[in-house]
Amino acid sequence: MPKQLIRLVVNGEGHEVAVEPWWSLLHVVREVIGLTGSKEGCGTGDCGACSMIVNGRLVTSCIFLALEADGAQVTTIEGIGGDKGLHPIQQAFVEEGAVQCGYCIPGMIVAAYDLLRQNPRPTLEEIRYALAGNLCRCTGYTKIYQAVLRAAEMMGG
Amino acid sequence: MRPFSYFIPASLQEALAIFQREGEGGRPIAGGTDLVVQLKEGGHKFPYPRYLVSVRRLPELRRLEWVEGEGLRLGAAVTMAEIEASPIVRERYLALAEGARVVGSRQTANMATVGGNLCNAAPSADTAPPLLVLGAKARILGPRGERLLPLEEFFLGPGRTVLEHGEVLVEVLLPPPLPRSASAYRRHTPRQCMDIAVVGVAAFLALDEAGEKIAEARIALGAVAPTPIRAHRAEALLVGRPASPEVLGEAALMAREEASPISDVRGSAQFRRYLVGVMTEAVLEEALSRARGR
Amino acid sequence: MAEVGDVRKAFRHVGKPVPRVDAPAKVTGRTIYGDDLKLPRMLHVKLVHAPVAHARIKGIDASKALAVPGVEAVITAQDLPPHRYDPDNRTRVLLARDEVLFYGQPVAAVLARDPYTSAYARDLVEVQYEELPPVLDPLEALRPDAPLARGSVQALEEGEVGGHITVEGAEARKEEGPRNVASTITFKRGDVEQGFKEAAAVVEGTWRTPMAHQSYIEPHVIVADYDSTGRLSIWSSTQAPFHVRNEVAKTLGLPETRVRVISTEVGGGFGGKIYLYEALVGALAMTLQRPVKLTMSRKEDMLAATPAPNCIVQLKMGMKADGTLSALKARVIFDTGAFPGAPLLPGCLLIGGFYKCPNLEIEGLEVFTNKVSVGALRAPGAHNVAFALESALDMLARRLELDPMEVRLKNAVEKGDPLPSGQPYPAIGLKECLEAVAKSQLWQRRHEIRAHPNRGVGLAVGGWLGGLQPASATVTLNADGTVNALVGAADITGTNTAFAQIVAEVLNLPLEMVRVTTGDTDSAPYAGMSAGSKVTFTVGRAVKLAAEDAKEQILRIASQRLEAPPEELELVDGVVRVRGREDKQLTFRELGRWSTAFGGRYPPIVGRGAVAPRLQAPSFSAQAVEVEVDPNTGQVQVLSWVVAQDVGFAINPMAVEGQMQGGSTQGLGLALFEEMAYDEQGRLLNPNLLDYRLPTTADVPPIETIIVEVPSEDGPYGARIVGEPSIVPGPAAVANAVADAIGARVFQAPLTPEKILHALGKIKD
Repeated sequence: MPKQLIRLVVNGEGHEVAVEPWWSLLHVVREVIGLTGSKEGCGTGDCGACSMIVNGRLVTSCIFLALEADGAQVTTIEGIGGDKGLHPIQQAFVEEGAVQCGYCIPGMIVAAYDLLRQNPRPTLEEIRYALAGNLCRCTGYTKIYQAVLRAAEMMGG
Repeated sequence: MRPFSYFIPASLQEALAIFQREGEGGRPIAGGTDLVVQLKEGGHKFPYPRYLVSVRRLPELRRLEWVEGEGLRLGAAVTMAEIEASPIVRERYLALAEGARVVGSRQTANMATVGGNLCNAAPSADTAPPLLVLGAKARILGPRGERLLPLEEFFLGPGRTVLEHGEVLVEVLLPPPLPRSASAYRRHTPRQCMDIAVVGVAAFLALDEAGEKIAEARIALGAVAPTPIRAHRAEALLVGRPASPEVLGEAALMAREEASPISDVRGSAQFRRYLVGVMTEAVLEEALSRARGR
Repeated sequence: MAEVGDVRKAFRHVGKPVPRVDAPAKVTGRTIYGDDLKLPRMLHVKLVHAPVAHARIKGIDASKALAVPGVEAVITAQDLPPHRYDPDNRTRVLLARDEVLFYGQPVAAVLARDPYTSAYARDLVEVQYEELPPVLDPLEALRPDAPLARGSVQALEEGEVGGHITVEGAEARKEEGPRNVASTITFKRGDVEQGFKEAAAVVEGTWRTPMAHQSYIEPHVIVADYDSTGRLSIWSSTQAPFHVRNEVAKTLGLPETRVRVISTEVGGGFGGKIYLYEALVGALAMTLQRPVKLTMSRKEDMLAATPAPNCIVQLKMGMKADGTLSALKARVIFDTGAFPGAPLLPGCLLIGGFYKCPNLEIEGLEVFTNKVSVGALRAPGAHNVAFALESALDMLARRLELDPMEVRLKNAVEKGDPLPSGQPYPAIGLKECLEAVAKSQLWQRRHEIRAHPNRGVGLAVGGWLGGLQPASATVTLNADGTVNALVGAADITGTNTAFAQIVAEVLNLPLEMVRVTTGDTDSAPYAGMSAGSKVTFTVGRAVKLAAEDAKEQILRIASQRLEAPPEELELVDGVVRVRGREDKQLTFRELGRWSTAFGGRYPPIVGRGAVAPRLQAPSFSAQAVEVEVDPNTGQVQVLSWVVAQDVGFAINPMAVEGQMQGGSTQGLGLALFEEMAYDEQGRLLNPNLLDYRLPTTADVPPIETIIVEVPSEDGPYGARIVGEPSIVPGPAAVANAVADAIGARVFQAPLTPEKILHALGKIKD
């Protein structure tokens, strides 16, 4: 079978990409579209480093087949803050010291962004439940909790 | 990953036609949270599909609706997140909401579907025990027409179901809940979440009009046999008897006998058997207290 | 503490919490990691990992793989360029030649134009194996009749013995002595038997900790390019660029001038990213004459990187009625896997290194098995022995009805106390850490907590001596008056931010005027590896010296220009001025121009700092943990966690807290979840992040930190090592908390529900 053409909008920008059926959305976004902020940590949907929002839903893009993103609206870490300066979540992560090696952080921030869209003022327990799909090996999470709580406050949730 | 072809049909009819046209070696795919990982990691032991047919957006598989007098029609491509968020599921089929809630992460819940959870046929599937106790029937469409099966008959073994080539699980049908009835599901995992059930237990209890005796009982166990199973002998111990802690305890002991777990990396057989006992008791108590609250 | 607080007030930058300078790039996804690199004509390599733990390779057929469109080459050991091969050294076996020694060992490399193709073709390479009996359990491996884990062990034994005694003796020894031993170590002090006689209580037990994986979220990634001038460039997510250069050059027979190593942003290392397949990928780039990239998948990384070893500690300890330790006897066995490299020395030093004990006897054995070769994990060897030591101490305290805190305070090592090797401790703060935890809210609440059924509080300590390695740095003044510092150490924990603080402190500049860069091995001044917790402690001193050197050069010029002795000059925000004379001043910008522009009259300002530290600055951590155990299911939930650590002086308290919380959480993971599980054939059963369980947010409560500051004698501003100690107490602290909660003592980590139910007698084998 020849490659199949998909159209998708990533962070507001349209793309047409010819993909193989076994390519993941993560592969297309990183290697074809060239947005390398999203990371592959496990390739099996267990670490969350590749988290993206597809048609309003948080997913692990490493196991999301690219063909299934045909016609989709996709938000990646590059679509949060970015040229307009840091998003309050990003600002809070910087100021609270919630970033160490940084490899999990794009996915973590996309997941936190998704959480705060749905629950603008989460409790600590809600944060701990909502971010369980995003592993971080460096920080021990405490400063991430603080950053999300602070971001919620900054965003006036 | 090995190469494969991928089809995205616009309708269920088209999906069935693709299976007819392409022949053996095809599989339906929905959320992909199990199947894509198997494609990546499965190596040579995994029966690698030649082609996949995407069913995740087919309207017939996306239904989640209450039909008065019939019960709940739950499309196979409804996601865990959608099930958990559904007020009707939470109100009338709480065990199912509890099962859907614990599947993976929020990311997983947004992708994984109930049909995928059942068709992947892992003994540990978290929606299987709840659906078994809720009296689910599986509606299957294929080249020879429609089949409607009790869910108990759907599973054949780890990774194996009754689905034949070209057949698609379309939806799951749940009867309306009985009066004074309730259900519950719990599982045991080492981590608080993001884990696979070491043991999963679902129970459904209906009380008699006086609210004293158990009128109907169903218990289902996950991850303790080659498929999710009903604990029929334990259920039989409950029906017609007073809803007392002693009776529930007896049933739990019986459920323990009905389990036939294996030892694997997630737990030993004796650990699993032990857990069936303590967890069945706890889940029955939970279901009972919910039923009494109705 | 009060004294240190006063010291802190005297500083402008050091000692203050500062967000990491690299954080904005990381939160926006702009930081470039190794896997983000692309070079023209780059090939993607996937390794063929052996599906057996021990075997002879009978043949490799790559024809099917080579037939896949897009595949450029399949390389086996025979196809590699000439290089130094040593079957006893992990780093000198690029691909298995004749014998496979562990499940997952690379036996061939498949190179293709894209990673999907190389991964697909990799599965088509057919290797014929003649299976050999695998040696898996280290205790079994030691039995005189055990099979050998590797052919070369026999060669080693025979060679050594043959050189010293007769052949008959050698044979007798071979039959009686332990087999598969890679190395041994012994420490003795006093008379342990006498010590046990003096004891009012003696406990004895065997504690086990399994193989564990560092589980950095970024798997290993290496890119290599061999250019037409004969220079090999290697981009690697390594903690140790100079070490990689050294190893690659030696292995491939190149002078170090022809090897350049660029450490890409390290997406987590924890000791697991020192050196892996850099020489192999370099050799592939040389062979193919094209850039080559190896991005390991999670599974490949878990199969074939360097996790932490499985360890068995047989420990017997005696305590007098007053709580004084009287004797400690330990046998520490590390399973090093297929190659030497287990942390035997630190393990054996530390098991006798936390407490004063007049009589001790420590025997260490490093044992070969057919498992993946092991490496370092944050304080390598320490958590394994601390699990035994700190559990036994609690058991003794309980036996003698003494308070676990009091017992620890009574025996804790202090400055001058000897390690088992006899080497005395420099200034350390173990007691101060214990005292800090004793004052914590959690410890104060412990009686209240224990009143709650199934809840308990556990206490444990841990420490790390720290590595020492020479380091250097330069500090230069730019034309616009800003300042650059250049170091050779990979920044993992925020060290470049700490260095910026140091430079800004010395030159009294706003932090924004300083930029710290980690150079590659061609351009950067030498630094040891970013391991052993020592970067701030060693490189930080070099940076401080370099900044002071630059300051001196600035003052020398300024002194001439301003006609004032250097003592009368002060530096304020990029201005040099005569104290009290606002009119007599010049700016860094002027100095920068005069020392860089056409016709400039001064040489460029280049401060140089180089150190070879000889005195360690060990750091200790004390931790208390509150758990709730479900007695029906054995499930443990951690409710609260407090960590105190002596860091000497926290140059950046925000980063220090992050280290303490991160290490504690890894300790929690080792305590409750983490274990690489093998079957009877030596196959890893859980090479993924679903069944190799890292702690998630749902498992980890907010962790309270208490920074303790007992200044080191040698570190910058009194700083000491920070990164590693916080991982050490976790498993023991949790085990002690579980015992406190439900009275069940678990001797094997992780403390899974199943093991807890066993300990409670609720399930039996």
